Amino acid sequence: MKRRRFLNLLLTILGLTAVGSFVYPLLRFLAPASGQAVAKEVNLKKSEIPVGTAKNIPLNGLPIIIINRPGKGFIALSRVCSHLGCLVDYDQTQSRIICPCHAAIFDLEGNVVSGPPPKPLPRLALKVESESLVIG
Amino acid sequence: MRIKNWLEIRIGLDDLIRTQLTEYRVPRNLNITYTFGFVALIAFLIQTATGVLLLFYYIPHSETAFRSVQDLTSKVPYGWLFRQIHVVTSSLMIVMVLLHALSVFFLGGYKKPRELTWISGTFMLLITVTFCLSGYLLPWSQLSYWATTIATTMPTAFPYVGDMLAKLMKGSEQVSGLTLNRFFALHVMLLPFILAIILSLHLFLVRRIGISSPPFGKSAEAEKPWTGYRHESYPNGYPFFPDFVLKETIMTMVFCAAIFFCITFLPTLFLPEEANIPADPYKTPAHIKPEWYLLAPYQMLKIIPNKFLGVSLQLILLLIFISWPFLDTQEEKNILKRPRLLGLFFFSLILWLVFTLWGKYS
Amino acid sequence: MRYPLALLIILMLSSATLGGWKEDFEKAFLTRPWTGVQAPGDVCIECHASDMMKPEIRDIPQKWKTSWHYQNGISCHNCHGGDPKDAANAMSPQRGYAGTPKYTQVPEFCGKCHVGILKNFLESGHGRALKSSGKGPNCVTCHESHNIQKASINIINERLCAKCHSYERVKIMKQALFVTENKMNEIDKGLKELKAEGVFTEEEEKNLFNTQAEFRILFHTEDVSLVRKRTDEFGHKLNQINVKIQKTFEELRFRRNFSGFLMMIFVGMAIGFLLLSRRPKE
Repeated sequence: MKRRRFLNLLLTILGLTAVGSFVYPLLRFLAPASGQAVAKEVNLKKSEIPVGTAKNIPLNGLPIIIINRPGKGFIALSRVCSHLGCLVDYDQTQSRIICPCHAAIFDLEGNVVSGPPPKPLPRLALKVESESLVIG
Repeated sequence: MRIKNWLEIRIGLDDLIRTQLTEYRVPRNLNITYTFGFVALIAFLIQTATGVLLLFYYIPHSETAFRSVQDLTSKVPYGWLFRQIHVVTSSLMIVMVLLHALSVFFLGGYKKPRELTWISGTFMLLITVTFCLSGYLLPWSQLSYWATTIATTMPTAFPYVGDMLAKLMKGSEQVSGLTLNRFFALHVMLLPFILAIILSLHLFLVRRIGISSPPFGKSAEAEKPWTGYRHESYPNGYPFFPDFVLKETIMTMVFCAAIFFCITFLPTLFLPEEANIPADPYKTPAHIKPEWYLLAPYQMLKIIPNKFLGVSLQLILLLIFISWPFLDTQEEKNILKRPRLLGLFFFSLILWLVFTLWGKYS
Repeated sequence: MRYPLALLIILMLSSATLGGWKEDFEKAFLTRPWTGVQAPGDVCIECHASDMMKPEIRDIPQKWKTSWHYQNGISCHNCHGGDPKDAANAMSPQRGYAGTPKYTQVPEFCGKCHVGILKNFLESGHGRALKSSGKGPNCVTCHESHNIQKASINIINERLCAKCHSYERVKIMKQALFVTENKMNEIDKGLKELKAEGVFTEEEEKNLFNTQAEFRILFHTEDVSLVRKRTDEFGHKLNQINVKIQKTFEELRFRRNFSGFLMMIFVGMAIGFLLLSRRPKE
């Protein structure tokens, strides 16, 4: 009988450990992630970007470009080329966006005009207020 | 034990425990293979539990599915654990179901009066494979997309109805977001529901008819002819609880240990490189193959020159498998006394293994 | 039960002899890419690899097949223009055929795609020498024309560079590049290892790629002081990537230990229950 008692005890301990090692991950899994930083917004003055020009700024570590398109207003796009990740640049003379790595060309909406990228440039939320822009 | 008393008054708990657990006896000479069915059920329960957890974070849309699975694996705390369990157990569950089918076949457990049990079992095997097929698409990786393309194009081998069938499965001309949606509905809602119904029938039949005892060994007696209903009981057998339940528990622990063995030492066994690349409808990976349980039918299809014959042959084999109790009506349950059937059994098994390995390495 | 089944079998076998479906199905089934049948190739290769060509031209498709361009799906018409699907118009100027560029025009030829590098090259000593005197290195001098390999620091070597001038200045540049190149190689290796373990590394790969690209574009200016000035900046970025990679390795180790621990618990329970089930013989 002693053996049975010992075995029962051992199995209870192992069983509880097993249950505990599932309950703890389960709780962490289901509970909302703590310390998830609320995405920071960026404020810019409209006057910083004259019509026809663009500005490169970082947003939460992601490089983005804000273009003041003549006649169409402001747009905020990610600068990470959807081909291999190089950072794209604004070509003012031809009103388009070019990637220096493999000559991908995007239009001012972020759509692919030519070149290897498979997807358009991601667009970011941009709000226009009276004197400033709020991105993010 | 006030709770016990409370229940006893309402449902006759003591009587239940006696008749269903402690005085329900199983044959003395049963072996470890009798636990396989239970372990398969446990595997299904594990899948349901981890599946529900994955549902908390998975997004079933072609644009976000892949990302949601990656976030689940890398950003959600312990998301990797539940995902890995779900992936590994999906393959191990098929292994358990196959082992269960093989042992029932070998021990003649499909014979009269257990034909219905066998048929419901074969349907559950098919549903399990469908579960795996539909679930495979959900991560929307290169592996998912192209393996599903192959699987849903195979029905086109049929004349007239082939194209319709394929379109029915895909929901559009090619595998697309529509396919994802319907496979998701299938995987998460319809199949669990159907499986639960057939499973209840299966368990009911097993209990109602009684466990079939192994036909070899000293305690094997000649079966009395089945002319009317009787419940097969074993007054000299072991009590179901605690003896058989203990056996089932041991096997369940071994199964769980196997799951974690795979997760610890073989984490990429079921997740090769293509499983980590988002689906690209314009780029086919160089060596795309179906998952291991479909390799044998796939290889068979590849080597038979007439595709229609290839698919029909597989359908015929499937029909034979399902209706086996009606094709083999000999009363002799002991397979060792039937050398031709024994030969057929091993021949089919080896053939299946050969095709699977051939499919893997070709 | 057997008779309906037998009837079904006979029916299926006999209808299988109707060959019509066989051809249609085989056409659809077997010519899908996933059965291993290759899509129709460039018409360019068909002629240029054949015996009609002079030996030095006949080698070119083979050389291209070992290149980094080939592995990324860049073929003849991407650089030379023309129509790869229409043999009659394959080399027609109307379809954009550009032929072989002149020695001094090679940078613009490659710069059709490699825009950033062209800009820096033309501003560099090499570029200015090429344009002003017609003598000097162009892209092909260091990178070859068809057998183009993935960029690496070993393209800068004595055999190549000392052809025209002393190797001393080159050594200084190579030293300036060395540390960063090493870091990039380490990170590349780390990412490959992570990928083999099943981790999704696309974001970090993109990060590495654009850092590499920016750095190597910089090299083409041949301005050692610029390279030195920006080495710190690149080093910092690469270190950040490396930190993420190391954290991921640690996380993988933790996962292995955790699931190993769970496995041992289940093994322990299996043994425990097994011992519990042992009854004294009746």
